[in-house]
Amino acid sequence: MGLLRKIRDTGRVAEPAPPPPGGEMPAAARELGGSAQVRCVDAGSCNGCEIEIGMAFNPVYDAERYGARLVASPRHADVLLVTGPVTRNMAAPLKATVAAAAEPRLVVAVGDCALGCGEFTGGYGLASETGAVEDLVRVDVRIPGCPPEPAAIIAGLRQVTGR
Amino acid sequence: MNTISTALAVSGAGALTGAAAGLGLPARIRSWIAGALTAVVGAAGLAAGASALTGRTWSASFPSLLPLAGVRLRVDALSGLFMAVAGAVVVAVAVYGIGYARGGHGPVASRPAQAVLPLFAATLVLVPAASSVSTFLLLWELMALTSLLLVLVEHAERSTVRSAGIWYAVMTHLGLVLLLTGLALFAAKAGGESFDALRAGAHLLSPTVRGLVFVLCFAAFASKAGAVPLHAWLPRAHPEAPSQVSALMSAAMVNLGVYGTVRVGFDLLGAGSRWWWLTVLVTGAASAVYGILQATLATDLKRLLAYSTCENLGLVFVGVGAAGLFHAGGDPALAGLALAAALLHVVNHAGFKALGFTAAGSVLRATGERNLDRLGGLRAKMPATASLFALAALGAVALPPGNGFVSEWLLLQSLIHGLAVPGLTTAIVLPLAVAAIALSAGLAAAAFVKALGVGFFARPRSPQATGATESPALMLTGMGLLAAACAALALVPGVLADPLARAVAASRLTGIPPLTGGELRLRLTDTSAAYAPLWLAAALVVSLVLAGAGQRAWRRRSRRRAAKLWDCGGGQPTPRMAYTATSFAEPLQRVFDDVLAPEQDVNVTHVRESIYLVERVRYTNRVPDRIEHRLYTPLLALFAEVGSRARRLAAGSVHVYLGYGFVGVVALLGVLTVLK
Repeated sequence: MGLLRKIRDTGRVAEPAPPPPGGEMPAAARELGGSAQVRCVDAGSCNGCEIEIGMAFNPVYDAERYGARLVASPRHADVLLVTGPVTRNMAAPLKATVAAAAEPRLVVAVGDCALGCGEFTGGYGLASETGAVEDLVRVDVRIPGCPPEPAAIIAGLRQVTGR
Repeated sequence: MNTISTALAVSGAGALTGAAAGLGLPARIRSWIAGALTAVVGAAGLAAGASALTGRTWSASFPSLLPLAGVRLRVDALSGLFMAVAGAVVVAVAVYGIGYARGGHGPVASRPAQAVLPLFAATLVLVPAASSVSTFLLLWELMALTSLLLVLVEHAERSTVRSAGIWYAVMTHLGLVLLLTGLALFAAKAGGESFDALRAGAHLLSPTVRGLVFVLCFAAFASKAGAVPLHAWLPRAHPEAPSQVSALMSAAMVNLGVYGTVRVGFDLLGAGSRWWWLTVLVTGAASAVYGILQATLATDLKRLLAYSTCENLGLVFVGVGAAGLFHAGGDPALAGLALAAALLHVVNHAGFKALGFTAAGSVLRATGERNLDRLGGLRAKMPATASLFALAALGAVALPPGNGFVSEWLLLQSLIHGLAVPGLTTAIVLPLAVAAIALSAGLAAAAFVKALGVGFFARPRSPQATGATESPALMLTGMGLLAAACAALALVPGVLADPLARAVAASRLTGIPPLTGGELRLRLTDTSAAYAPLWLAAALVVSLVLAGAGQRAWRRRSRRRAAKLWDCGGGQPTPRMAYTATSFAEPLQRVFDDVLAPEQDVNVTHVRESIYLVERVRYTNRVPDRIEHRLYTPLLALFAEVGSRARRLAAGSVHVYLGYGFVGVVALLGVLTVLK
């Protein structure tokens, strides 16, 4: 009973929803009809972005209310949330993961590293000069920041879901 | 001259000419001629047995054929059943064997092997026809010797064959000693050594002597049938023998242990008291559960089949024991049903086990592998063998529409209805026996799903399995004969109702026919149960066809896209990642940990520079036969100890030996003086 009481006492902790971001929706996102199944792909990240993504789906930010939901396999996913500079070892798995997701699919590059302008640019062991995700696969939405705040990640995902 | 005598004469002549052909002919045609003559031996045995099963009997005595005792033969329906089973198995296995040995290469095509095979086949057919103690023991020993020679055929290839041969030789001869003692005691007290004299004189024996005779004979027969704890030779010798010999041993030779128990216990000793059959039933239940448990964990395909033989013969002994219990409890109708179920299980087991061993032999010939962990993917390479093995597995798992189901169902029916028989023993033992049968049936399903799934499906796990090719046509023909027999036994068991009733009547247990047949269904006369396997099989086929058609229609409507397998980005899965026989059985091994006491060892080798880095991890898992471990190892150690102590007596000094002689004579004189 303690748990139920705790739930009742705590109530809803989610922050009020900010106004929907403007910007135009990517073409593939329109077909999803406001519901995006999201698979995270760590292509070589320092895990800073992963922590922020985790925060974006916590009860306070509650990304699920905008129609984004984390899934466990690219076979279930519409959206791939790619973090980190793409390392040599992760280049082929990244391509395979993108290929494994069903069409229509979108790739969201999260964080400065994934955009090719982060801490590790030009570093040893990257798949390309900058390590940008764009060098390997087509990117639909970009979320800058090192790491991006949960609000920024949610804003990027709301561009996909349109809600 | 009636059919039986002609057939037996043909069988004997076929065996002798076959042996001569095996010894004399050149390698090119040896296996053809010897194999064909072996098939003739089998066909003659089948004809004689089938004729006896229609109700004819035949007996003959040849006083001059052997010194002192002569040879006495008698064929009735009970002998006929076992002769027909042995004959049918021999025919199919002989045809298979010609293909197996073709080309004249390998030890199985050698002169000794080809010469002994027809003789072994003939003894299998003739042992049930013996009707005097001396004839029976002679043929019994001939069967043991010829099978021992055949087990040893591949001794030059693997050292394990030699140890298996020694185990088999010692255990079968210990069995012979027990049998000889028992039957000699019986003959001495009954006043004659022909079976007729024994039958007539059985009432002259005191209950204690009768019990002793039964226990001695049953121990010998149980050892031949591979019943726990006298089974130790079976899982060694059956896998190490060439595959057609394994099939003959596992499908025909072990049956004679059952034949002996029924013949001596019911027919000659007149069914005796309750505790005999309680012993038989408990032995049977223990071997059923223990045998199939070991089979579930075995990774060697032929060892798995050999342990499954322990299980099935155990089930047969449960039936025989239940028949004796019901007889002693005064319910002849149920006794007849239990015995009929046991005999039908002998027939069914012979069918599917011969098919299983011949299919395993095909796999062995194609890949050189018996280890399931290194097989796999054979369905694509050897489709005919795979489907034949699947049929054998269906029989062995005792699920409808397989043939094993029919007899296990009958057995369960008899045990469940047996609760009506009064007595505390039946009230306690029968539910436990039902539970043991249910457990062994469940474990059998696991064992054969493993054998079929890991051995034949998935992807090949070794280069040998990758390079496998389908067996030659003659081997497939031999297996096809067995498969047809299995299918017939599964679909129209009703035709066997009358022959089984005659065999039960010949055992002098009861005159009431336990079953009525009809081609389409099998009905118990005593109770209202009936089983119509043909309708069941038809329903199964129809539902399979409907399901297949439905799936096809659904597939046509949906949009499909061929895509690469999702491998988590880590590269294609390799055959090493698939289930192996060991990993499939691991959960069961955990469940039965206390019973099996498996030995596991993890050996980690670290890199020299750091203990945090691992160079190699070696995992070994062995499931030793615990009964063997606990019972035989101490016994063997004791014998070795006594032997090495006794060696001290022979010190090499002539004076001491003369002293032994003197002491011996004095002691003998002393004993004689006291006794006079």
